[in-house]
Amino acid sequence: MTAPMTDWTIALIALLPPLAVALSAACRGPVARRLVAVQVAGSVATLVLAVMTFAFDQSSFIDLALCLSLLSLPGALVMALFVERWL
Amino acid sequence: MREALVAGLLVVMVAAAWLGCLGFARLRAPLDRLHAATFINVVGGGALVLVAFIADGASDRALKILLAVAVSVGAGAASSHAVARALVQRGAGPGAGARDGSGG
Repeated sequence: MTAPMTDWTIALIALLPPLAVALSAACRGPVARRLVAVQVAGSVATLVLAVMTFAFDQSSFIDLALCLSLLSLPGALVMALFVERWL
Repeated sequence: MREALVAGLLVVMVAAAWLGCLGFARLRAPLDRLHAATFINVVGGGALVLVAFIADGASDRALKILLAVAVSVGAGAASSHAVARALVQRGAGPGAGARDGSGG
């Protein structure tokens, strides 16, 4: 028996196309575009993970969103440094 | 009433994500595109925090969402600055959309 489609599930599904757009932009194109696309994808992914915790009623999923938002700053700084100096 | 509020805020959050991605796709210069990420962080994250507190009350989950969004907004400002600086160093500063090779 499948779970009923809640507002959270619909929101989760509706958030997937923007995430796909950002991820596809991060995989191809010039470096400047890719770098910004990673930023956008990180923002959308945080929303997706936070909505997943309500859609699937699993409180542990929110820890993933918290980890992602905490790790996005050092990740972006390393990437920016790499692009600035060596790429 | 509460269900309608939750649904409305979820619509705001999803619309912010779609609008941010549309802005990312439509804006020409890389520095302009960075504003799309900030928009998603602020508007989408704000709506998410509101909807979490309305749906769940002041639970651990809602507080973690508040923390995640606060960190995301704060770290997003810093990382956007770092990324913009790197792009300017690479010569992708203001008005560089045509040089970006991304269709602009």
